[in-house]
Amino acid sequence: MSNSDPEAYQEWNPFPRRSSPPGGGADLAARLMDDMDPEVLDFLKTTVNSFVKWDLVIFFSENPNTTDTAVNLARYIGRDVGTINTELDDLVEAGVLVQYQAGDLKIYSLTTHPLMRERIKHFVEASVDRQFRVKAIYHLIRGMR
Amino acid sequence: MERIKSGITGLDEMLNGGFLPYSANLVEGAPGTGKSTLGMQFIYNGITRFDQPGLILTFEEFPHQYYSDGESFGWDLRSLEKAGKLRVIMTSPEVSQASLAQVDSHIQSVIAEIGAARILVDSLSHFDRLSEDPVARRGLLYGFINSLRREGLTSLLTRESPALFGEIEGPEEDVAFVADSYLLLRYVEIESSIRKALLVLKLRGSDHAKDIRQFEIMHAGIEVQSKFEGREGIMSGSPRRMADSFVEAFVKR
Repeated sequence: MSNSDPEAYQEWNPFPRRSSPPGGGADLAARLMDDMDPEVLDFLKTTVNSFVKWDLVIFFSENPNTTDTAVNLARYIGRDVGTINTELDDLVEAGVLVQYQAGDLKIYSLTTHPLMRERIKHFVEASVDRQFRVKAIYHLIRGMR
Repeated sequence: MERIKSGITGLDEMLNGGFLPYSANLVEGAPGTGKSTLGMQFIYNGITRFDQPGLILTFEEFPHQYYSDGESFGWDLRSLEKAGKLRVIMTSPEVSQASLAQVDSHIQSVIAEIGAARILVDSLSHFDRLSEDPVARRGLLYGFINSLRREGLTSLLTRESPALFGEIEGPEEDVAFVADSYLLLRYVEIESSIRKALLVLKLRGSDHAKDIRQFEIMHAGIEVQSKFEGREGIMSGSPRRMADSFVEAFVKR
């Protein structure tokens, strides 16, 4: 495929062609999210608003009976514990995870709340779609700037 | 006395009917000998044949590994989880030990929720990293095993043996001392092929088979077969024919 052919580019480019000049990033982001399920979009904006949280949500969704410390969870998802500490606490605040204390250990588990479990399931199912992932990644990268 | 049957062909007979209720049973062997398979089969049979829900506590493998391994034997572990008869909990030794030491912890609530009667802990080897002091480690294991008993669970605890063949070495006897039964799985080389052997070394409070049996991992799980006839030195990993030993001992002198 040649990048000089604008039609061909349009075929594989996951983002729609710019109709506004460079710098209209906010418009582009809004347009990208237009066709996203509002509930999933809200979950992405308010709860899974970083790559580490995304990893954690996917991990807990696949392993819903996990109960462990930040150090071990970091090992399971291949991240640094310093990176995931704040993210875990954010997910606890958002109601995705529950945190409890056992002796000196701070332990995290997936919530058993049925509505939150349903929202997580919905998000994970949506993220199987490549187009959704591309858009969500774009959204997260914009949020990091 | 009532027994907790493993449902594994040949094993219950070796155990004089099965494991003792609320007992802690150690299964030790080298990688690939079938410790986790034996444990999964104990849990699966418990649920499907004896109506005893079970828990798998994994310290290393991800739960999907158990689902996939189970599938290859025709055991649908996911369905059992959905039916509330099984939970595969991924955790660590420090968390499970600390949780069970508390009242109303996450693990205890899961035990109560499904009415678990059996547990597979895979594997106890991970407790080694909690303390280098053997006395402290033994104390931790003793507390952990007693908490499983307190919760009304009959447990199967796996432990890796570093040696592929022959005798184990090192300060590994602490768990064997605390456990109620001790099963050894070993690779054995016979006429240039690798076979597997099972031995019940200890069964506290009960008689048990003293012979060393062959076992195989078949399409539906482990099957314990006949004992090794006419050979000695099985647990060394390189058994000899009894006749050879006789010649060596009496004729070659």
